[in-house]
Amino acid sequence: NVSSCECIFFSEFHPTLGPKITYQVPEEYISRELFDTVQVYIITKPELQNKLITVTAMGKKLIGCPVCIEHKKYSRNALLFNLGLVCDAQTNTCALEPIVKKLSGYLTTLELESGFISKEESKHKLLPIMSTLLEELNATGACTLPIDESNTIHLKLIQLRKDPPIVQEYDVPVFTQCKDHFIKSQWDLTTQQILPYIDGFRHIQKISAEADVELNLVRIAVQNLLYYGVVTLVSIFQYSNVYCTTPKVQSLIDDKSIQEECLNYVTKQGHKRASLRDVFQLYCGLSPGTTVRDLCSRYSLQLQNVDERRLIQFGLMKSLIRRLQKYPVKVIRDERSRPPRLYTGCHSYDEICCKTGITYKELDERLENDSNIVICWK
Amino acid sequence: MYSQSQNSVYKSGDKTSPISVILVSSGSRGNKLLFRYPFQRVAEYPSSLTAKQRNPYALNTAGDGLEDQDGDSRYKLCLIFLLKRFSDIILSTILATKSDMCGKKFELKIDNVRFVGHPTLLQHPPVSKTDPSPKREMPTMILFNVVFALRTNADPSVISCMHNLSRRIAIALQHEERRCQYLTREAKLMLAAQDEITTMTEMDGSPQSPFRQILPKCKLARDLKEAYDSLCTTGVVRLHINNWLEVSFCLPHKIHRIGSNYIPPEALERSLKAIRPYHALLLLESEKALLSQLPLDCSPAMVRLIKTSSAMKNLQQLAQDADLALLQIFQIAAHLVYWGKAIIIYPLCENNVYMLSPHANISLYSPLAEHFTQHFPGYDLPSMLAKFSLPVSLAEFRNPLEAPAQEAYLIQMVVWMLQHHLLIQLHTYVCLLVPPSEEEPGLRDEDLPLAARVGGRSLSTPSALSFGSPTSSDDMTLTSPSMDNSSAELLPGGDSPLNKRMTETLLASLSEHERQVILNIPAAQNPEDLRMFARLLHYFRGHHHLEEIMYNENMRRSQLKTLLDKFRSVLVVTNHEDPIISIFQSPME
Repeated sequence: NVSSCECIFFSEFHPTLGPKITYQVPEEYISRELFDTVQVYIITKPELQNKLITVTAMGKKLIGCPVCIEHKKYSRNALLFNLGLVCDAQTNTCALEPIVKKLSGYLTTLELESGFISKEESKHKLLPIMSTLLEELNATGACTLPIDESNTIHLKLIQLRKDPPIVQEYDVPVFTQCKDHFIKSQWDLTTQQILPYIDGFRHIQKISAEADVELNLVRIAVQNLLYYGVVTLVSIFQYSNVYCTTPKVQSLIDDKSIQEECLNYVTKQGHKRASLRDVFQLYCGLSPGTTVRDLCSRYSLQLQNVDERRLIQFGLMKSLIRRLQKYPVKVIRDERSRPPRLYTGCHSYDEICCKTGITYKELDERLENDSNIVICWK
Repeated sequence: MYSQSQNSVYKSGDKTSPISVILVSSGSRGNKLLFRYPFQRVAEYPSSLTAKQRNPYALNTAGDGLEDQDGDSRYKLCLIFLLKRFSDIILSTILATKSDMCGKKFELKIDNVRFVGHPTLLQHPPVSKTDPSPKREMPTMILFNVVFALRTNADPSVISCMHNLSRRIAIALQHEERRCQYLTREAKLMLAAQDEITTMTEMDGSPQSPFRQILPKCKLARDLKEAYDSLCTTGVVRLHINNWLEVSFCLPHKIHRIGSNYIPPEALERSLKAIRPYHALLLLESEKALLSQLPLDCSPAMVRLIKTSSAMKNLQQLAQDADLALLQIFQIAAHLVYWGKAIIIYPLCENNVYMLSPHANISLYSPLAEHFTQHFPGYDLPSMLAKFSLPVSLAEFRNPLEAPAQEAYLIQMVVWMLQHHLLIQLHTYVCLLVPPSEEEPGLRDEDLPLAARVGGRSLSTPSALSFGSPTSSDDMTLTSPSMDNSSAELLPGGDSPLNKRMTETLLASLSEHERQVILNIPAAQNPEDLRMFARLLHYFRGHHHLEEIMYNENMRRSQLKTLLDKFRSVLVVTNHEDPIISIFQSPME
C-alpha cells in the first residue's frame, strides 16, 4: 500500500442540502458522524479556500483543498467543492499534500473549461475516476488518467526525505548499491561528469580536481546523490587512520543479512570467501591507538582473504566502526600572538590538510614539537 | 539548495518551539478568540508597504518577546507572517470546535501551520436560587480550546507533547471554572479589553493590539504568555492557574539537548526502561540547587534520594542508603532524568575506562571551556580533554603520585565532564566465535548467530536451575571461587551427574563442531573452568559487558578476566560504549 490512502471523497455545497459528500470510494467509508464533525474544514468559509487543510478526527485524517468558483450562473452565485483523501490518523500525510493540491487544480480547470462538475452528465464520471485514482495511488504511487480530449491527470507520490548534511571537501562519497545499477542518463550533466571518480576513496577535493569540475558544483551534486540515498559519505582512507568499534558492530553477529552483505563486500577479488570470525576479529582489532597499518601487521592471517580498504569502507557505511579524528588545540599562547584560526578544536586534521594542502606527516611534524598545542582524538 | 540548519544551535531549537499560543472559546455569544501571543502591533511597518497603507498586522521589528539572534528573529518574523494570514475571526471559527471534538486531541493543519489543542467542554453546576454565595453570573461559555500553533515540520513527538500541555492547562481551567468561574471571568476581561481597543481605534484611528492591553489586566493571559516564552527557551513550564493550581510540564526536546541534537523522547524512554540496579544516577545540578527547585509538597522520598545519591553509588546501594524500595528508586530516577535533572551512568570506580565522546565540544572558545576554568582554576578544558584521547581508566587518570586532595579534584573533573556530556565510558563485550571447521568449507555453523540456536531458552535463569537440581550446598561449593581441584566430584572426565549435566547444557546450545573445539581447549580439561565457561555462555553474544556479568554472577573481575583469557581462542573481545546509556553522552542523529 504505497500511499496508505484509505478513501477518496468528493464533497460539495448543495444548494438546498448544504455541505454533503457526493461521492466517496469506497462507499460509506466516511460516516455521517465524521462528516458532521469535520465539514466546517471541508466546505469552508472564503478565508480558508485554496488552502491545504488536514483535519484529524475519530481516528482518521482528512486532507483536502476547498475550491470556490464564483459565477452568476451557479445557484448561490458560487460553486463550492473539495476533493480529498482519507488516511489513518497515525499516517504521515505530507507526501499526499501536493497530490491533493494538484487534484483541486485539475478539477478547477475542468470546471472552468467545460463545466465538468456543474453538469450532471460529466459529474458522475468522477466516480470511476476516483476509483482508479485510489487503486493506482495505492498500488504504484503514480497515476496517469485521461479525463477528456484536452485534459489528463498526472499524479506521482514523491516521498519526502530528510535534508542531507553539508558535504565537505574532505568527505568521500561511496555508492550504497552496486555502481553498475546506476543509470547515468537519468542524472544531470555535472553528476554524469563526476561519476567515474566516485570510487569510495576519492574525496570531494580530489574529484573536483580530477574531473575538472568546480568544487562547489561537486559538493552540490554529491549532496543531491546523498539526498536520494544513492551514495553515503565516509572519511578519507589512510593507513595511518585510527578507528574504533561502535555498539552496532554486534549486528554483524546478530543480523544474517548484514553478515552476508559484509562478507561479500570485503572478500578479496578471486579469493575464498572470508570467514565471519576473521572479519569480526578484524573489526574488533580496531581500537583507539591502533592504526590500520598496525592492524595489518597484527592480523595478517585474517587479512589473507580480506581487502582491508573495503573492510573499513563497509564498516563506516554501516556504522559498525567510526573514525577517530585528530583535533589540534592551541591552549597556550602569549597575549601578543594572533588567536588560532585552525587550531581551535573545531577543525580536524582531515580538514586542515585539505584546506592548506600540507600532508598529515608534515602537520604531525609541525605540531608534535609544539608544546603549546594539545591533540584531542574523538 | 537544502536548508543549512546544522550550524546554529538555536535554529534546531526552533523546530521544537511553538509559533504562537491561542485561546478560543465557544458559547452563546458565538466563537471568540480570547487571546493570542505573540501578538502583532503597529509601530514601524516594513518598507515594502507605502506610508499610506496601515497594516494592522505589520510587525514591530524590535520584537515582542522574540529572541533576537541573527537569522533567528528574521526566521520568527516569517513564522508570524504565516499566522498573520489568519484573522482572529477565522481562527476562532476553526479552533473553537464542535462539542463532539471535545475531550480529545485536536490537530489541524492549514498550509504551513499546524494547530494542536485539547478542546474542553465546560459543565456548569445548576445555580441554586437559595445559594447564599456571592452573586454568580450566568455562564455563557460552552467550550474552550488552548491551542498551540506549530511549524509544519514539527516532529510527531513534539506535537504530542504540546497536546499534553494543552490538555493539562485545560484540566486546570476546567477545574477552576467549576469551582469559581475563573475562566468566564478572565474571558470577560479579555473581551472587554478587545472591545475597548476597537472603540478607541475607531475614534482616533491609531491601531493597537488589543492583546497587549489584556496582559496587565488578566492573569490567564500572563500565564499563557509565560507558557509560550518558556517553551521557546528552557522548555520547562511552571504555571499557577488562578494562583492556585499548578501546571508543570517539560518539553524533553529542549531539555535533553546535546549540542544541536536532541534526544528523542522515545529513545529516552527506552533507555530508562533498560537501566539496571548496577547503574548509577548522576545529578546534573548541585544537591542544594535541586532541592531548592522542588515544590513544597514534593515527596520526601525524592528529597531522601537526592540527599543520598552520589556518582559512586549504584541504584541498589542507593535504595539501601535511602531506605527506599528499588522500584521506587527506579521511578524517581526516571522522573529526574526525564526532567533533565540527572543522567544515568555506570558508578565511578577505579576500573572505569573513559574516552572523549564523539560529540564532545572541544572548542577553545566554547562556553563550556570558560565554565570549566571558573570551576577549576588553573586548568583548561582542552588540555584535560586531551588526556582522554586514548581510553584511560579512572585509576590512571587520577595519578596516585599526586596528593590525595589533588586526586579528589581530578575525580571532580571527571564528574563535571560526565555532567556536560563530554566523556563516554567504554565497556568490554565478549562474543563466542569458534574457528571454522577445516574439513567442510561449506559448513556455516559459525555463521548462525548463537541467539538463533539458543532459541527460546530463558537466559536469565539462575545458575542453579541450569544444572537440573543439585542440592543448594553443592551448587554453592561448585560455584565458589575458592574451591580447589582436588574435590572428588570434579575429576576431569569423571562420571559425576553434575559433569554430565554440564555437558548436556553445552550440547543444547552449541553445534557439534563448536562443542568439539571448546572441549579441545586445554583449559576445558579443568572441570571448574569448563563449568564456569558453560554457565557464562549466554553472555558471550556481545550484548553483555563485563560489569554486567560480574554483577549478575557475583564474580570478581580478576576471576572473569582469567577465564576469558583461558578461552581466548574461541572468544572475540571488543570495547565500546554501553548502548543503553550512551544516548546521554552521544545522542543518535
